[in-house]
Amino acid sequence: MSGARDSGVARPVKSFTYRSVAGPGRETSRRSGKWRAVARNVGIPILSMALLVLTWEWIVVGFHIAPYIAPRPMQAYEAVRSDWVTLWPLVLATIRETIYGYSSGALLGVFLGVVMAKVQFLQRMVYPVLVLSQAVPIIALAAPLVLILGFSVVPIVIIVAWIVFFPVTVNVLDGLSHVDQDLLNLARVYGASRWRTFVQIEIPATTTPLFSGLKIGATYAVTGAIIGELVASNGSSLALYQEHANSNLNTPAVYGTTILMTIIGISWFLLVVGAEVLATPWQRRSVARRPWRRRREAALTTAQVEN
Amino acid sequence: MTDNVLLELRDVGKVFVETIALSPTNLAVKEGSFVAIVGPSGCGKSTLFNVIAGLLRPDSGEVRLADQPVTGATGHVGYMLQKDLLVPWRTVEDNITMAARLTRRVTADDRAEARRVAVQYGLGDFLRHYPSALSGGMRQRVAFMRTLVTHQQLLLLDEPFGALDAQTRLEMQQWLLQVWRDTGRTVLFITHDVDESIFLSDRILVMSPRPGRVVADLANPLPRPRDIATLTDPQFNELKSRIMGLLHGVAT
Amino acid sequence: MRFNRLGALAAAGSLLATSVVALAAGPSASAASPTKITFAYDFPGPDFELTPLVVAQDQGFFKAAGLQVSVVFPPNTSTTTKMLATGSAGIGFLTTTDMGVAVDVGVPVLSVANYSMRNNWALFAKPGTKLTAANLKSALKGKKIFSYGDTWTEAMLPFVLKKAGLSTSQVKIITDPTGNDLTDLLAGKVDFSTSTTNYEIPGFQGSGQKGQLTQLLGTAAGAPDIPIWVYAVTKSYANAHGANVKAFLTAVKKATAWAAKNPTKAAAEFTKAYPKSGYTPAYNQAGWKLTIPFLTNTHGQYFTQTSAQWSTLSKALKSIKLISKVQSPSTYFTNKFLP
Repeated sequence: MSGARDSGVARPVKSFTYRSVAGPGRETSRRSGKWRAVARNVGIPILSMALLVLTWEWIVVGFHIAPYIAPRPMQAYEAVRSDWVTLWPLVLATIRETIYGYSSGALLGVFLGVVMAKVQFLQRMVYPVLVLSQAVPIIALAAPLVLILGFSVVPIVIIVAWIVFFPVTVNVLDGLSHVDQDLLNLARVYGASRWRTFVQIEIPATTTPLFSGLKIGATYAVTGAIIGELVASNGSSLALYQEHANSNLNTPAVYGTTILMTIIGISWFLLVVGAEVLATPWQRRSVARRPWRRRREAALTTAQVEN
Repeated sequence: MTDNVLLELRDVGKVFVETIALSPTNLAVKEGSFVAIVGPSGCGKSTLFNVIAGLLRPDSGEVRLADQPVTGATGHVGYMLQKDLLVPWRTVEDNITMAARLTRRVTADDRAEARRVAVQYGLGDFLRHYPSALSGGMRQRVAFMRTLVTHQQLLLLDEPFGALDAQTRLEMQQWLLQVWRDTGRTVLFITHDVDESIFLSDRILVMSPRPGRVVADLANPLPRPRDIATLTDPQFNELKSRIMGLLHGVAT
Repeated sequence: MRFNRLGALAAAGSLLATSVVALAAGPSASAASPTKITFAYDFPGPDFELTPLVVAQDQGFFKAAGLQVSVVFPPNTSTTTKMLATGSAGIGFLTTTDMGVAVDVGVPVLSVANYSMRNNWALFAKPGTKLTAANLKSALKGKKIFSYGDTWTEAMLPFVLKKAGLSTSQVKIITDPTGNDLTDLLAGKVDFSTSTTNYEIPGFQGSGQKGQLTQLLGTAAGAPDIPIWVYAVTKSYANAHGANVKAFLTAVKKATAWAAKNPTKAAAEFTKAYPKSGYTPAYNQAGWKLTIPFLTNTHGQYFTQTSAQWSTLSKALKSIKLISKVQSPSTYFTNKFLP
């Protein structure tokens, strides 16, 4: 049948279609497609990381670079592994700061985005202040925070939240400002209250830009935690450990901890991506998974209809 | 079709800035009838719909539904646009039950009815699909089902088949007539397509712009049920030439 | 014709000979172009300890020694060693602890002269605090002590804690590489700050606070009396450009002596050379004056290093595990370039 798109007859739709996270991939059949997609999305990045490490090794060895300038990959790994007992609690502390700071920042971002979308006057007043807040260099911000709040985890969490909230705010504001007006009209015609319209239409419509903002925030959250630690931590933190290693010319430890921080950052980002995948099944699937409470009902109704 | 007047417009008019979008209009629509509205852009047909639906408050006159004043009030008509406006984050079943979700709670009865309607009109296998997996025609059918389950007597359909290709459109028109027969609702149907207006309706309102107003109110004598043969009936062509004359004589 | 060819040959030959002679004569023939030296300080910005170098420039001591010295500042306090090692600087300003650590990891640095002769590192507290060698334990227990996280402070604190009879878990050492110890102390964010007297006292005077800062010298609290800062080069630089090092030290010694004799003028010259340093003229003057007493040893000599100082240092660093191996003193220093 020509013009299959608008023919009024369904395209042949399989019961399970898997699309890759990265973008609209080819639709493939169930089993082999899934593993090929995994290979593509996970395997290739791993391969490129491995190549990076090999290049690093080759450069250090090939150019006879002194270990206190740049270590070989194995030395960096060894420096981290040998002091893992000390490092592990520091890593946990950094992760904790990231989680608290990120959550506060994300919640603040959503709150500000919604408030500004709904109250035009506030938007005009607050938006420029928010932009200004991001123009302040974090290091400059950190010093007064420490003077007011002391050396503790609180300034660190504030710094992370500071970095995270802005992209979330901007994206939520944009999302809420660009909901399809016809859809909003339709809701009104149905007699929906403003609250219902907000919860059932405006919020879900903002999911995509929201996650964009959350992903951007996630990328910078760990960096923010490290900067915060450098300025405001009580004495032992991952950033200070690295700073200490730096002043002791323990360059393998410097490189090793840098890689550690990078891994924390990447993991956090992937976690947010994972949350996105879980929260937005419609972007990847053609058919929804059956929620448990519906199974009984559906079975009953199908029986009724078939009779 | 009964003799009860379901919808009544008394001197309903709307002005936007300096333009008279709709000059004071009087209209009475019988319950169970199918009324088509044809006219070029700017003739006020969408404004008419929006006033009836409660999205716009008219500058003059009142709207009465089942003899109750409903001017400016929402929640008393079914409403459909050319865009299906299905929300992509919900399944077909959840989209059909959208009205309940927006006004009260979605009950098991609501879901059962959604399933029944879907099965009845050929989309029973797609209840758990997301809209992105459906073709344009299927999506419009889902949108229509969503409109149906609101149990509103009056349905306002604003060029719902405009985005579909000719073949699909024909299928959808026949499907619409069948549903209309089954449910006995009152339908106001806006279209650019004169053929479509004659094929579907009992009565055709021809509107023209500057100012937006109804210029002709034609009865459609063609017998029901209607099929492909109707399209070549001489009465069909006679009606068509009358309407075309009104449209093109006006649109200078 | 034959004469012409001979003539040309003779001309070419003499030209060749002249140029060879000229080349052999080397630098002395081009005394008009001075030798360039890049000097790396140990701090990201200039402060009054640089005064001898400023004076050496202003008073023409560098020029007289045939040197053109440009001063560069590292992005942070641990980069000076790396700048020497990679050759982006020829001569550098380091703490002795940085030297010890560098030698331990294999950086081939060599100390060529002491900047200061004695340890003027101290613990500081707000005016009115009681802090003596006698009440050290009770004064420090449970308190917050500031540290910049640099090797010198890290080397000194264990001595203090040992004398106080406290373990590191019984005090809170707040490490803040980007902060300012005096600001934190006066704001009450830490109970004790650590710094050297020549920096801390002028800083306090400039803060406008009343009274006198409580101070306990590190040497009174168990720290060894060893020099803090030195001039250093890499071993390869010393081998290749020994003459430069000697010329540099000659000029700087003259300048140091001059600046010690004319402290006000010297401080003013520093302020003029670095107007945007962020320090007030009063601070520069007070700081330089406080530095002067530490620059000479008991014999009134500048620069002279001893094996004892390096042996004490390396053993101290080993005992607190900042280095893994104690090297012989001659690995760390040489006095052979002293004027």
